[in-house]
Amino acid sequence: MTAFKHLLSTSPLASARESASSALGSLKPGSGSKPPRYSAAGLFVKGAKSQDWPRVWREVDLQKSYDVIIIGGGVHGLATAYYLATNHGITNVAVLDKAYLGSGGSGRNTAIVRSNYLTPEGVAFYDRSLSLYNTMSTDLNLNVMFSERGHMTLAHTDGALRTMRWRAEVNKLQDINSSVIDADEVKKLAPSLDTSPNTRYPILGALYHPPGGTIRHDAVVWGYARGADHRGVEMHQKTEVYDILCEGGSGPDGKGPGGKVTGVRTNRGDISAPIVVNCTAGWATTISDMAGVKLPITTHPLQAAVTEPVKVFLPTVVVSGSLHVYVSQTDRGELVFGASVDPYATYSMKGSLEFTEELAGHVLELMPNIGRMRLLRQWAGLCDMTPDYSPIMGFTPVDGFLCDVGWGTYGFKAGPVSGEQMAEAIATKATPKLIEPFKLSRFATGQLVGEKGAAAVGH
Amino acid sequence: MMLVPCPNCGPRNSSDLRYVGESHSRPNPNTATPEEWRTYLYMEDNPAGPLKETWYCRSGCRQYFTAVRNTSTNEFENHPLPGAKIGSVDPSFHYVSESKSVEGNQ
Repeated sequence: MTAFKHLLSTSPLASARESASSALGSLKPGSGSKPPRYSAAGLFVKGAKSQDWPRVWREVDLQKSYDVIIIGGGVHGLATAYYLATNHGITNVAVLDKAYLGSGGSGRNTAIVRSNYLTPEGVAFYDRSLSLYNTMSTDLNLNVMFSERGHMTLAHTDGALRTMRWRAEVNKLQDINSSVIDADEVKKLAPSLDTSPNTRYPILGALYHPPGGTIRHDAVVWGYARGADHRGVEMHQKTEVYDILCEGGSGPDGKGPGGKVTGVRTNRGDISAPIVVNCTAGWATTISDMAGVKLPITTHPLQAAVTEPVKVFLPTVVVSGSLHVYVSQTDRGELVFGASVDPYATYSMKGSLEFTEELAGHVLELMPNIGRMRLLRQWAGLCDMTPDYSPIMGFTPVDGFLCDVGWGTYGFKAGPVSGEQMAEAIATKATPKLIEPFKLSRFATGQLVGEKGAAAVGH
Repeated sequence: MMLVPCPNCGPRNSSDLRYVGESHSRPNPNTATPEEWRTYLYMEDNPAGPLKETWYCRSGCRQYFTAVRNTSTNEFENHPLPGAKIGSVDPSFHYVSESKSVEGNQ
């Protein structure tokens, strides 16, 4: 099966996992040596000699100053650091995370990637991300297990079908492989779906997007961390930012519009830096408030769940907006379910029984034959929702303070391109064309980028 | 699951209610600029802590009410008594005419 051919290549993920977990232990200065390249031969030799794999990234002492401080060690923060080092040669960079790398949304999402959005701005942006994901395993020398298995967004109503056609035409104009298919074709692609007309929400058709698929999200985090470390970027885990130090602003303590960033205050002391980048999710407004920058964001939890593993039967990613659910089967055979965000703003990541009840009901509408499968676990991650379901990227009214936030339920698939574009913005001190539509000032001028119809389910 | 204290119906499951959002003061329509309107429409405080917010009891008394909830723990700080007059919880929620009450800046 071509969809699973990526499994055949070598996968040194175990060592990255070990490094991620051992990094939770005591913080020790590392050896500073660069990690070796991974190869099939190396895997064989290590296996034969039962040697330990070296640490994937160094742990060094925190310095007093950096050229750039990135708050948030997830896909966005690490990708920004990686592209700063590789594309622009800026390596005096520190990535700070209050927990461990990839502990937030990067490790909690459902790992789906696609580029079939609704606005031309959104399509161009996410398509660049998909092309970076396509070559990522080679670029990072780490198998990220990209599985280009196709992505189907089901339409259950005439209105939904009309939006699908709209999206398909916008996509085709920008050379994205995306088309509307009917219920028979849906049945051929995913035979387990109930496509009979007698259901409560009959499947009328779908938007089919063959380049979409899934990726091992932890591997993406580890790959960027390893690549950035290799080029001299420092990652500091268990380093929480308490305050952002500013001068010259209109607010208290020199914060606010017109001011300038001078550094950050952390649980490990003050660090000075002329540029501070907010790459957090969930706490985006908490961090930007520290610099006196107000964001139009509310924080909502998004819950997800996974079943016990079974034999592979679902070859594509299936999304249903009307039923508020998306499903994909992992390489291990587990079904991963995601849903819409919880209806009220909160920072609590507690799961709820309502979620599992509703999810199970909706999944069984789609696939009645999996009624006896058991859920393995559920979890939640925090999503920063903006009014127009598009992110907030680039410069802010505070000089030296940049944002890459507001990623709602679509941050993972945009990680690589966000890092690339944010790095360009930092290095050139100008907003790149690709992220120009996502600037913070669009809310004051009323130039919103409405992606509600294509960005998430259940709206 | 979260219990929301409706002043008329008592504690109800959050799925019985609709979350309206943060309670903001509306700017004066006679004097507000487009920017002030957009600030009112889009900007949120989004604190990780106590938040004054509006709920609509859609499956119960079908009334709006204001409550204060800690967004980190989802515990409500004020539990209005059942039978309390709607609006008496916090009258400032309805209309405030001073334009200076517009929060936020850009």
